[in-house]
Amino acid sequence: MNGRTLSATPTLTERAGALFHRYANPGRFLRLGDRIQPWLTWSAVIITLIGLGWGLFFSPADWQQGDSVRIMYVHVPCAWLSSSGYFALAVCSVLSLVWKHPLADLAAVEIGPVGACVTATCLATGSLWGKPMWGTWWVWDARLTSVLVLFFLYLGHIALIHAFDDQQRGYRAAAILALAGAVDLPIIKFSVQWWNTLHQPASITLTGAPTMSQTMLWPLLISTLGFTLGFTAIVVARLRAGVMESRIRSLLSSPRRAVSGEASA
Amino acid sequence: MKRKTRRLWLVIACVAGLGTAAGLTLSAFSSNIQLFMAPSQVVDHPPAADRTIRLGGMVVAGSVKRERQGETPINLFQVTDGQAAVTVRFEGILPDLFREGQSVVAVGSLEPDKTFVASEVLAKHDETYMPKEVAEALQKSGKWNPKFGPPPDAASWNAMTGKDTAAGKN
Amino acid sequence: MTHLPYILASYGLAGSLAVILSVGAALRLKRDRLKLASLEAARGRAQSGTQGGQRA
Repeated sequence: MNGRTLSATPTLTERAGALFHRYANPGRFLRLGDRIQPWLTWSAVIITLIGLGWGLFFSPADWQQGDSVRIMYVHVPCAWLSSSGYFALAVCSVLSLVWKHPLADLAAVEIGPVGACVTATCLATGSLWGKPMWGTWWVWDARLTSVLVLFFLYLGHIALIHAFDDQQRGYRAAAILALAGAVDLPIIKFSVQWWNTLHQPASITLTGAPTMSQTMLWPLLISTLGFTLGFTAIVVARLRAGVMESRIRSLLSSPRRAVSGEASA
Repeated sequence: MKRKTRRLWLVIACVAGLGTAAGLTLSAFSSNIQLFMAPSQVVDHPPAADRTIRLGGMVVAGSVKRERQGETPINLFQVTDGQAAVTVRFEGILPDLFREGQSVVAVGSLEPDKTFVASEVLAKHDETYMPKEVAEALQKSGKWNPKFGPPPDAASWNAMTGKDTAAGKN
Repeated sequence: MTHLPYILASYGLAGSLAVILSVGAALRLKRDRLKLASLEAARGRAQSGTQGGQRA
């Protein structure tokens, strides 16, 4: 694989690359995915139902927001997922641009639409929460605008990855867009600190104690875990389908060649 | 340098360059990204009367006067950032979350007589989420008055329920 | 409950999106698995066919 290597000791880049190839080649992923899919799916369903049921029926109403605070148990997990989904997209882009990893390209194709849906839900539920509380559906403050930009980045990524006849060029262009767009992630995170916004600052931070009642924090964390598992389950399912489709494509384009399981690895 | 290593450095350099560029742009336009102006800014540098601005701050306790002119309610209140206060006049229905001590954003313009005539008032809620019983208990025990500032740390009332504090437990 | 329409709309939106995405993924998986199986079966037959011909 490293035909050009002159020195005997492999560099860090090569070792990291070998690791990715070993643990994330499409055939291996397909076997692994088959096994973990039911666990992912059912734990996601059960944990999400527990979190949302708790939030909807058993957690207390907020002292000033009343019951509308229950929108938080949908809105906040979606908001976190929209950012971490985009982070995953950026990681796939690095793997694609530097190591030309085929599974990373397929993953980027599948993460994009799911991330866009989650971001759209975040924006829509935020709007539904803003109308009764703030008194407006939308305001052009730094937080809301930067999340809208994230949504457009997702849409741009989806459009770009399918825009070229040569699929490899599409992967590359989309990976560059995803990496460039990653500057939006810190802007989203810190927008409520750097500028004054209508959106309130974060209640849950890594550094400080949460400014939220524990009776609300628990259902929020549980539904976040459930949403994250659900996101992963859907992406894994789509990625398994994507790997199979790439295999189908290679079988159809060269039906006579004995294509091994890891056609594109 | 191997090709993969070179590509890795190229990607890192591009991301770093782009990040710096974005950071510089944002800090250059920082004042335009602010959603609202604070009352002290408005007092120090009064904007032209025809310019629509957003004024943000806390509603001063005891400053809210509600009148009625025919069908439309007229609200007068003061907004402060702790240094200066601006009187706001708003015709219409205030949002549910509006109260004394709440942060609000008023959209409108400054009249020559230094009152701010708002066409829209938005309520801004803070990052504290607290059950109703706890809020009532905190107020009853005199530990917090929502008219005068943000609630105490969640850690201090997390173990609290309505019954606990009603009994005067500390 | 106060603000019930807003709450129901939020939960409904998130729920229906989850259902649409998961059903879509499940259908796609099923379709691809069938197609791949039929293609591989066809290839297997073709290969055994040529090998048999050579042997004969």
